[in-house]
Amino acid sequence: MFDYFLQQLIFALAIGAIYGLIALGYTMVYGVMRLINFAHGEFFMLGPYIYTFLFSGLLGLGGLAPVLDSAIAIVASFVIVGLLGVAIERFAYRPLRAYGRLAPMLSALGMSIVLQSAVRVTVGPQPVHFPAIVESTPIDALGGMVTTVQLGILAAAVLLMVGLTLFVNGTRLGIWIRAASESWTTSSLLGIRVNRAVSLVFFIGPGLGAMAGIMYASYYGIMQPTMGSVIGLKAFTAAILGGIGSIPGAMLGGFLLGAIEVFGTAFLPILSFGYIGTEYRDVFAFAVLILVLLFKPAGLLGETVSEETTVAKKDY
Amino acid sequence: MNRTRILLSAATLLFASGAMPVLADDVVLGGSAPMSGAQAEFGQSQIDGAQLYFDQLNEKGGIKGNKVVFRPLDDRADPRQGTLVAQQFCDDSAVIGVIGHMNSGVTMPALDIYSECGMPQVVPATNPELMRMGFKTVVRPVANDFVQGALPAKYVTGKLGLKNAVLVHDKTVFGQGISGVFKDNFEAGGGKVSGTYGTNPEDVDFSALIASIKLENPDVVYMGAGMPQLALFLKQMREQGLKAQFIGPDIGFTVDFITQVGAASAEGALMTFQLPPYDSSPELKDFSDRHQARFGRAPGPYASLGFANAQVMAAAVEKAESLDREGVLAQLHGVTVDTLLGPVAFDENGENTTAPMYLYVVKDGKFELIKQ
Repeated sequence: MFDYFLQQLIFALAIGAIYGLIALGYTMVYGVMRLINFAHGEFFMLGPYIYTFLFSGLLGLGGLAPVLDSAIAIVASFVIVGLLGVAIERFAYRPLRAYGRLAPMLSALGMSIVLQSAVRVTVGPQPVHFPAIVESTPIDALGGMVTTVQLGILAAAVLLMVGLTLFVNGTRLGIWIRAASESWTTSSLLGIRVNRAVSLVFFIGPGLGAMAGIMYASYYGIMQPTMGSVIGLKAFTAAILGGIGSIPGAMLGGFLLGAIEVFGTAFLPILSFGYIGTEYRDVFAFAVLILVLLFKPAGLLGETVSEETTVAKKDY
Repeated sequence: MNRTRILLSAATLLFASGAMPVLADDVVLGGSAPMSGAQAEFGQSQIDGAQLYFDQLNEKGGIKGNKVVFRPLDDRADPRQGTLVAQQFCDDSAVIGVIGHMNSGVTMPALDIYSECGMPQVVPATNPELMRMGFKTVVRPVANDFVQGALPAKYVTGKLGLKNAVLVHDKTVFGQGISGVFKDNFEAGGGKVSGTYGTNPEDVDFSALIASIKLENPDVVYMGAGMPQLALFLKQMREQGLKAQFIGPDIGFTVDFITQVGAASAEGALMTFQLPPYDSSPELKDFSDRHQARFGRAPGPYASLGFANAQVMAAAVEKAESLDREGVLAQLHGVTVDTLLGPVAFDENGENTTAPMYLYVVKDGKFELIKQ
């Protein structure tokens, strides 16, 4: 039973890391703009497509070792998707800022459809095989089987999350982001260019989403234009679970949702003597979300909204 | 300005959605399959196959001198879209026959609609229940799932002597149906099914499920699901070290299955399919060449099936006394025609009396036919 538990823990960590990375994108954008970027799932989807395109292109040119090609393609995907995020913010959300909270959200939904359809029309609707970055070799560890891909995903995700935390808490650009999350008026009065902070957040968030997409595609070996919608929804749930607007919350929410899904699938049939099957995983995950929100509406690490905070953040 | 814009857009929409002009004497036949989404490769290949046959007919002068117009519509493998498509065909009085749908789950609700408007239907979907629901307007030229589930069960209990199986299905009409048939035949062959598991049709992560299945230590895993779930499942199975014999249904018979799983992990997997290989007879080879010439690509997995379905429908229209739905319907059940896939004749349920099924094994990165 311990082996079984350990095995499931490995899955939970791997999928939780991916959810966490995507959730970071949602949470950062919400923190700075109070906008749920529904198009975020599509950045997740674009990552592996752009990576595959660049990687096969570089491989075709043939000048460098495949490992180097892969690394360049990964970094380039981050940058390209990040820049795309900045552009989308600039052209689809910024002009609508004066029109309330609903207009940018609708624009985000529309953007999501546009991106998905664009990929579907150019590449095709069927799932495409994703070229493996690291060959998936199973390693026997303490009774469970870990694949090199899972280890890679965990390592990369932890690195990215640590990097992001250091960036947000320790650098000048990080101060921009934190200031803009608190209050736009006061930040601009203090000389912080809020629009720059917004663009920065829209560079990092989608970039991280693209990284998560590449990890997801190497884990499962396929990518399809619709993969962003379901995973985006789940990662959004993870962000809410952990407290939307809070960066540690997004990471915690991601791992927590991964754990709930995996352990729910693994142990529900056993605990319910076979009545509740593995297909109730999503039901279980969303039920937990509802419970958390009933008792802690702001999420686990979210800020409790009180009179002072509402008044302070109302104007931007 | 606003009103003009609205009127203009409304007019454009109406104009754009209007059908192409159809001459009064044209024979209009509808077809529906998933042309977008994960199963687009299968659906589109069916449409292409049918289109190829109708083009051939038109070159020879059409049916009774009338041109055949084939109207494919996308049902996205979604029952809701399928019923809309069915209603659309029914409402269009020019359409006198429909070849569709590909998915059993989409066909089931659509059967009622076609029956209501008396539309003759040639259906490729394979769930056995479809022909036992009492609809008189439909025939099926392809083998149903009773045959498809039985063949691999007999093979693994008889030839391979495997005793312990686990079923996985995706809770669709097709998936549950066919895994049930496999179970019955497997148990009849002396084996034991130690568990049945369900997944959602869109799931990609089966790791927790496979870890549970590993505890049962089965010899065989039969999966009744679609693509890419079949490939994802087998890939994750091998990654977790579960070495059971994997068996899948016809929807997995595609090169994508082998690429997505990886040739090494896919080795030895069994797949059933209704059609023989494209190089197994001169007619099929000729068909393959003509398909390549017409569409610029090799025939997809169901292209020959689409072609055969079109042959059946055209045979019914040919013998019809009047070129309308009643006329075609009167002839539909009595059709006996030599199709690309062999002779077709229908029993009282509308099922094909001879329904071949073929078993393939993945060897060296390719599907190879197992001769029985």
